[in-house]
Amino acid sequence: MKYVFQFGIVRDHLPELIHGAWLTLQLSFSAFGLGFALAVVLAFLRDAGPTPVRRAVGAYVELVRNTPFLVQLFIIYFSLPELGIRMEATTAALIGMSLNFAGYATEILRSGIDAVPNPQIEAGHSLGFSRLEIFRHIIVFQALRTVYPALASQFVLLMLGSSIVSAISAEELTGITNTLQSTTFRAFEFYFVATGMYLAMALGARALLHAVYWSAFERGQPTRGAWAR
Amino acid sequence: MSRDFDWSAFLFILGAVRWTIVLSLIAFAGGAIGGLVLAIARTSRFVVLRGLAAVYIGVIQGTPVLMQLFIVFYGLAVLTGLRIDPWPAVTIAFTMYAAAFLGEIWRGAIQAIPRQQWEAAAALPLSPVAQMRNVILPQAFRIAIPPTVGFLVQLIKGTSIASIIGFVELTRAGQLIVNVTFQPMIVYPIIAALYFALCWPLSLAALRLEGRIDAALGIGKRP
Amino acid sequence: MKRRQMLLGAAASGAAGVAAMAALSPIGSASAQTPVAPPASPAATAGGTLDRIIKDKKIRITAEVTSPPFGILDKDNQPDGSEIATARQLAKDLGVDLELVQVTSPQRIPALLAGRADVAISSLSITVDRAKTVMFAPPHGALSIVVAGAKGKQIRNAADMAGKKIGLTRATLEEATVPKMAPPGTNIVMFDDIAATMQAMVSGQVDAAGMSAFAAKSVADRNPKANLENKFTVTTAFYAAAVRPGDYDLLQFLRTWVFLNKNNGVLAGIYRKYTEVALIDLPVL
Repeated sequence: MKYVFQFGIVRDHLPELIHGAWLTLQLSFSAFGLGFALAVVLAFLRDAGPTPVRRAVGAYVELVRNTPFLVQLFIIYFSLPELGIRMEATTAALIGMSLNFAGYATEILRSGIDAVPNPQIEAGHSLGFSRLEIFRHIIVFQALRTVYPALASQFVLLMLGSSIVSAISAEELTGITNTLQSTTFRAFEFYFVATGMYLAMALGARALLHAVYWSAFERGQPTRGAWAR
Repeated sequence: MSRDFDWSAFLFILGAVRWTIVLSLIAFAGGAIGGLVLAIARTSRFVVLRGLAAVYIGVIQGTPVLMQLFIVFYGLAVLTGLRIDPWPAVTIAFTMYAAAFLGEIWRGAIQAIPRQQWEAAAALPLSPVAQMRNVILPQAFRIAIPPTVGFLVQLIKGTSIASIIGFVELTRAGQLIVNVTFQPMIVYPIIAALYFALCWPLSLAALRLEGRIDAALGIGKRP
Repeated sequence: MKRRQMLLGAAASGAAGVAAMAALSPIGSASAQTPVAPPASPAATAGGTLDRIIKDKKIRITAEVTSPPFGILDKDNQPDGSEIATARQLAKDLGVDLELVQVTSPQRIPALLAGRADVAISSLSITVDRAKTVMFAPPHGALSIVVAGAKGKQIRNAADMAGKKIGLTRATLEEATVPKMAPPGTNIVMFDDIAATMQAMVSGQVDAAGMSAFAAKSVADRNPKANLENKFTVTTAFYAAAVRPGDYDLLQFLRTWVFLNKNNGVLAGIYRKYTEVALIDLPVL
C-alpha cells in the first residue's frame, strides 16, 4: 500500500490550526502568570512561614511533581463534580496548568532563594526589615535572576504539556487537530503540521524569554549570566 | 446493575502498574543507548554529528510527547509501509523521547568534566575511544546520576500520555474502571497515589544522590 | 528540511529494528494444518493479510472497551460486549488466536490503517466518509444515535440544543451528524474517548451527550441517580467490520463469514444477548 500525502487539505484548514495555536499560547501564558504568582506566594510561605505551612507547601510541591499532569486534569475535571464543583473544560485546563506550573516553579524559586547569600539576609534583619520586606527587596530579584533559565525551560514544558488538555475537551491546538484529522482522515499530515507549529512556538517562546532575560538582568553588564551554559 | 469500586477493580488497577513500569523501563533502556550516542555526538569534534544530534534533541524537546506519539502511531506505518504492533509503536515513541532528554543530560555531564581531565586523558597513550571510556565517561556518569534518576520520574509520568491513544497502562486502567463504576472521586486519586508511590522514592533518591555527589565534588549547593 | 529528514531517518532506524525482530519470528509454521487455508496461488504467497493471519495463527482486532454494550469490562475486568464477542467468534471460525488491540473511538480507523490491527470490529457505522478510507464488510448490527441527558434538561429536539453544552466523541457517527443539526449557539464539546463523554454526561459537565441509544441506556441503567433519559434520536446506521484498503482477501473472507453467521443465527444471538433487543433484517452490502 502506497500512502499518498495530501498536504493540500491541511492548507485548507490552516486558519483553524492557527486559531488553535493562538488558544494554546493564550492558555500557556495565562497559566504561566497565574502559576508564577501562586509560586511566589508558596515560595515565600515555604521560606518564612510557620512549620505546618512549610510542610503543607512541601507536600503540595511533591504531590504535583510526582503525579502525571493528565491524572491531575482528570481529578479536576471528572472527580471534583462529585463534590459539586463543576467548571468549563478550558477553565479546568487553565487551573490544572496553573497549579501544576506553580508546583514546579515553587521548587525552582526555592533553590534560587537558597542561593541568596546569607549575609545579605542578615543585613536586612539588622536594618529592621520584616520577613516580607526582606523577601521582596533582597531575595526576589536575585533569586529570579538565578532561576530564570530554569523557569523559562519550565514554561516551554508547560506549553508543550498543554497538548494533553484536549483529553478533557479543552479547545487548543491538539484538540482542533484531533477534530480535523478525525473528520478528514488525514491524520499524519495534520499531526505533522501541528507538531511543526508546536516546535515553532517552543523556539519562539525560548527566544522571547531569552530576550526578556537580557533586558531585565543583563542590560549594560559585560559578562553573561546564568544563562550562559 | 451498577458496579461499585471493589477489590477486584483495585487489583485490576494495581495490575496495570506493571505496564507503566515495563513501558518506562524499556523506554529508559532504549533511551539510554540512544542518549549515550547523542551525548557523544553532541560533544564530538565533527560539526555534522554535533549538528544532527542538536537538531534531533531540539525537535524532541520542542514538541509535545503526545504529538510524537501520534506521529509514530500514524506516521511510521504510512512512511515505511510496515505493520507495527501497539507495543513496539509506543515503545519506539517513548524511546525516542527518552533518548533526547538523556542525551542532553549526559552532554551536560560530559562537558562538566574539568578541562584538565581531558588534557590528562589526551596525554595518556590511549585511543580517543579509550580516553572517553576510561577517563571521561566514568566521571561524567557520577555527575549524571541524579538528573538521570530525575528524568526517570518524568518518563514514568509521561507514559500516562499513552492512555490517550488507548494503550492500557495505569492511567488507562483507571479510565476503564471509572467507565464501569462511575466513581472518579475514588478511582483517580488512587491512580495519582500509585504514581506517587512509584515516583516519590525516585525523586527522593535523586535529591539524596545530588547532595552526596555535590559534596563529593565540592560543588556545594546547586544554584 | 532537516526536521523532515530526521524524522524519516529516525523512522527508518526504528523500522529496521522492527524488521529485524520480524525476521527472528518463526517463519514457515505449517499453514497446511489450518482448516481454512486458501488454495495456494502465486498472488496469495505474495503475503496477503489473510494468509499472514492464518500462518501466524493470530488475528489482531480492535477492541474499544469503553463503549457498552459493544465493548466494556465485565465484572472480572475482562473485555466483553457484543463486538468483543463478534471478534472472538471470528477468530474461532478462522481457527486462530485473537489479540484484542485496545483503542479509543478516534483510534479505531487509524489503528487499522497503521497496521496495528488487521480488522476493526468496534461498532463502526458504515458511512461514505469512512468508506473513502477503509473497506467495509457487510453489516452485522444496527444502532441508532441519540442525544441523552439528565431528566431536568429541557431538550426535546435538535433546536432545543441552543445554549446547551452537548458532549460528543471525536471520530464517531454522532460527531458526523449532531453538529450539522445543531442550531447556532449550541456549545459542542469534543472528547477523545467515549468513556470521557459518558463521564462528562453523568457528572453534569455537559447538559447532554450524543451516543448510541444502547450506550445511553447502559449508562442510565448503571447510574439511576443521574436520572438520564434519551432526548431525541439523531440517526440510525448499520455497523460492520472494516479492513485496510486493498485487503481484498480478508474482505472476501469477512463477506462469507457474515453471510454464514447471519444465516445460522450466531450474529443475531450475540446481538440479542448484549443489546437485549432482536436484530433487525440486515441489508446486504
